[in-house]
Amino acid sequence: MKKYTTPLIDELEKGPWPSFVTEMKKAAKTNEMANDAVGHLEKCYSTKVGYWKHGGIVGVLGYGGGVIGRYSELGEEFPGVAHFHTVRINQPSAFFYTSKALREICDIWDKYGSGLTNVHGSTGDLVLLGTKTDALETIFAEYSSRGWDLGGSGSALRTPSCCVGPARCEWANYDTLDLCYSLTQEFQDELHRPMFAYKFKFKMSGCACDCVASIARADMSIIGTWKGDILVDQKEVANYASKGMDINAEIVNMCPTHCMNYDGKELKINNAECSRCMHCITRMTKALKPSGERGATICIGAKAPIVVGSLLSWVVVPFIKVEPPYTEVKDLIRKIWEWWDDNAKPRERIGEVIEMKGMRSFLEAIEVAPMPQQIREPRKDPFMFYTEEDMVAFKAKEAEEKKTGKYKF
Amino acid sequence: METAELQDKIFAFCEAAKGKKKLKEKDIIKGVSAELGIDGDTVKKAMRAMIDVGRLMYSYGGGASSVEIPSEEYLREKGMIK
Repeated sequence: MKKYTTPLIDELEKGPWPSFVTEMKKAAKTNEMANDAVGHLEKCYSTKVGYWKHGGIVGVLGYGGGVIGRYSELGEEFPGVAHFHTVRINQPSAFFYTSKALREICDIWDKYGSGLTNVHGSTGDLVLLGTKTDALETIFAEYSSRGWDLGGSGSALRTPSCCVGPARCEWANYDTLDLCYSLTQEFQDELHRPMFAYKFKFKMSGCACDCVASIARADMSIIGTWKGDILVDQKEVANYASKGMDINAEIVNMCPTHCMNYDGKELKINNAECSRCMHCITRMTKALKPSGERGATICIGAKAPIVVGSLLSWVVVPFIKVEPPYTEVKDLIRKIWEWWDDNAKPRERIGEVIEMKGMRSFLEAIEVAPMPQQIREPRKDPFMFYTEEDMVAFKAKEAEEKKTGKYKF
Repeated sequence: METAELQDKIFAFCEAAKGKKKLKEKDIIKGVSAELGIDGDTVKKAMRAMIDVGRLMYSYGGGASSVEIPSEEYLREKGMIK
């Protein structure tokens, strides 16, 4: 195996942090592809050129996603990375694995790929880095025979992803893991056969802490919330205060809607003004807890900057029950896709199309009534919708009132 | 219309767009169903059967996916021609 000298990337091994270079070098001891990846990386750093090409026709038969073609322009100099395709494996809900399952994944990858992995990619998938085109069908056969499937890529539904939910978290307002699994199964076609104008991501968080950062990353964020009051245990509040917590500074003054007050004895919450942001609950876990009906808020349109700048998700459905078989959520998703498909140009995310076509047209298409909670910027989002029929009825009423003398301007 | 005949029409539709426009699945479904006056689901099923046997293929570039007629290179990789 060729030995590369790597003075530039060696710098990345210094310091107290784990280094991906160290891990690549470990893999390089036994794997030709990983070894060439190390040499290639040094070359990229020394010349300040990437050399990677991306995309193309690479994939497994019948699937339009799950494999991302990557080729190096320096295939002759570094034959191990001439083809260096990425394989995305659909992760289990909330990333629960047995060590046996992880060994199984790594053993197959060591056999057919570079042995390098990215667990997990920002999409949520278990990402396997670097294999050759002629190994793809075999890799797919090996993984699928053991119950694994490829994740999403390209203009498709991307692998749904969720927080740890009720598996380990008391704040989950719905079963994020089950919804994630259910949507993955329901929309297999959309996941594996790219049919959209561009990518579409679901991310599910059990509460507003939003541990999967769905509000910033998902085209459709499904964030757990509740309808009842925040229950306050005043004894525990006093306990926090006696242990040194400055309740006014750390809790009351940090409340985004200023719906709390504390007089040194009692913590009061005006629940009608509470936006369920979770800040107070996460800081005073023993004193405060949600109550009443549980469900989720659905937000639409987050994305990183490509066609237009980055967007955060926008509340579309303030509260929806999230219970198996999730028919209401699935029906809403289908309506959203239909409108997006009819209106999007290639590479336009749904948030961008809403920006261009307007929330009014979107809400009408998905048959969701305009609500105050949907207003993103006060005085900027007009939710007064008048149809042609409304105008005709209004004019008729006005004429009638003028006739009978009841008209007042 | 027989499935084989429909698939020939879909193939011709893709061939006409070759080198001019990257076709999404939906472009093919809408285009062929409008041209032949048949429902989109029938076109979708016929098209996907073609993708499953390698008569059409998914391609990817610039962040977006499309459906294309496979190159010889692709068919060779998949063991469909020698």
